[in-house]
Amino acid sequence: MRRAKNVGRAFTAIVIWVMTAATGLILSVGPLGAAGDPIVVIVNSSNPVNNLSMGELRKLFLSDRAKWDTGRPVSPVMRAAGAPERTQFLRVVCGMDDADFDRYFLLAAFAGKFPTPSKVVDSARDVRRIVGNSPGAIGFVRSSDFYMDRDSGSVIKTVTIDGLAGTDAAYKIRM
Amino acid sequence: MKGLSPIPTDRMLRFLVFGLCLVATVPAQTQQAPDPPTNQAEDNKQLLQRVQELEEEVKQLKAQPTAPPATAAPEPEQPRIAEAPAVNEIAPRLKLNVFGDVGAQAYNHTPDTFLFGSLDLFMTARLSDKVSTLGEVLFIAQNNNVIELDVERLLLQYRQSDYFTAAIGRFHSWVGYYNSTFNYGEFLETTTDRPFIYAFDDQGGVLPMQEVGVTLTGKIPSGTMGLHYVVEVGNGRAWGPGVEAAQNNQDANNGKSINGGLFLRPEAIFGLQLGFSLRHDNLSIPGPAVSETIATVHGVFINSNYEILNEGVLVRHVEPTGPVFRTTAFYTQFSRRFRAWRPYFRYQYFNANDHDPLYLYASPNDYSPAYVNAFVGRVNGPSTGVRYDFTQHSALKLQYDRISERGLATVNGLTFQIAFTF
Repeated sequence: MRRAKNVGRAFTAIVIWVMTAATGLILSVGPLGAAGDPIVVIVNSSNPVNNLSMGELRKLFLSDRAKWDTGRPVSPVMRAAGAPERTQFLRVVCGMDDADFDRYFLLAAFAGKFPTPSKVVDSARDVRRIVGNSPGAIGFVRSSDFYMDRDSGSVIKTVTIDGLAGTDAAYKIRM
Repeated sequence: MKGLSPIPTDRMLRFLVFGLCLVATVPAQTQQAPDPPTNQAEDNKQLLQRVQELEEEVKQLKAQPTAPPATAAPEPEQPRIAEAPAVNEIAPRLKLNVFGDVGAQAYNHTPDTFLFGSLDLFMTARLSDKVSTLGEVLFIAQNNNVIELDVERLLLQYRQSDYFTAAIGRFHSWVGYYNSTFNYGEFLETTTDRPFIYAFDDQGGVLPMQEVGVTLTGKIPSGTMGLHYVVEVGNGRAWGPGVEAAQNNQDANNGKSINGGLFLRPEAIFGLQLGFSLRHDNLSIPGPAVSETIATVHGVFINSNYEILNEGVLVRHVEPTGPVFRTTAFYTQFSRRFRAWRPYFRYQYFNANDHDPLYLYASPNDYSPAYVNAFVGRVNGPSTGVRYDFTQHSALKLQYDRISERGLATVNGLTFQIAFTF
């Protein structure tokens, strides 16, 4: 009888432990399949680049690559610190937060590397406009912000990352 | 009357009906509208004109996608730059960053003291698309309490491409990872001080941390391996009683120091860097010349949360007819960030021969008591501490050191430092 009680208590404890662990796991993972709005990378339409690897993209925004294959200087542009797409982009692509990003450029400058920091603007519209006006510029916006308007006209385009477009389920740069 | 055509009866009939209708409606209109008939005609005229204007506008709007009127296109609005870059621009070309550190120190062999660490003015300017310049002026407190001015770096750089950059001037040598990555500016370092092997020459360091000469750097086409090269040619370090280590204006001999290094940063593991360097110089000192070879190897991994630094150094001094003197050193440092807090641990080891012909002229080790006037040789021990970034540009550090030195009592010390940049 006592043995049966002990077995029962042990079973109950295991069930509670499994349920607690499962609850924690679910909470830490978040809703399954809740993929956010893609963040698309945009370049000027005159830029022949149509695809970049994640590593190449990181180099472009961390000023580790100064020129495109065409010889034009790379001019990255992004929204100001605190913009959700910037936070997410830096986290996914560079593995950094805003403070790390600033410190990276400070350290690079201090090491004598003369990095070119990203041009920082207020809105996604400004990102599109600068990319549309500058052949060497590269930026990123939410896919919902990417539309052909009077400012950008047909002078910007998206590039795929590791062969994946924002519409692909496996695309990694998302909100 | 010949020539006048008779009015057709049906047309006359319609005219009569129209006239009767008009007569019938006019009184009703005059009752409803107080304006006289002349004003009504004016209104009708204006309404017709307005209708015509609106029709014109509709036509223009319909035609806009294909041929927008030149006058309607608004001037392109300049995008607003939201914030300054990380480095402060104080003039169209000049950018300035200031680093400073202050603190306090309590070691068991010296009186407890507050510290003025250093004030570092770091300037850069882009002179053209390919030419840049860098200058660094340092105010640093010496052991005799004098704050000395030191032009730490002055460099003119020409960047042809990612594969070739040349620079000339005074710079920090690429002897090891730490010296080329962290300079002065304690804010950028996790710990309160540099590893002993990379201590500056005026703080007990024995390696040539500064160089006057030329440097070539760049990438080597290697796909995702991220291979880079470094080549440096310079005056080398001077040794002797009371001499300045960096040979700024006059080399003691015609032989130049040559330093070369390779390192890779694989794309697959962002933050990883593996590399080595090899440096040779013939040193003129009082007595026979000494051939110096310095080999370094490093493996570091730095990302947002982790910092793992590992370096090893082997120094070889050879006199023309004398024995070979070897110095070995390494350090390992690990830190992990928890939000604004970053605890860290470092162990360092340095072992030089007491009879090394160069270190005879070296200043006492940084950890040696004030009454020790000679270079000690072996230094090793752990350091542990925590860094707290209380703002984005200022950090507080607390570090405990336990250092053993050859022939001396073990040193225990606590260092408190506030480092910042603005």
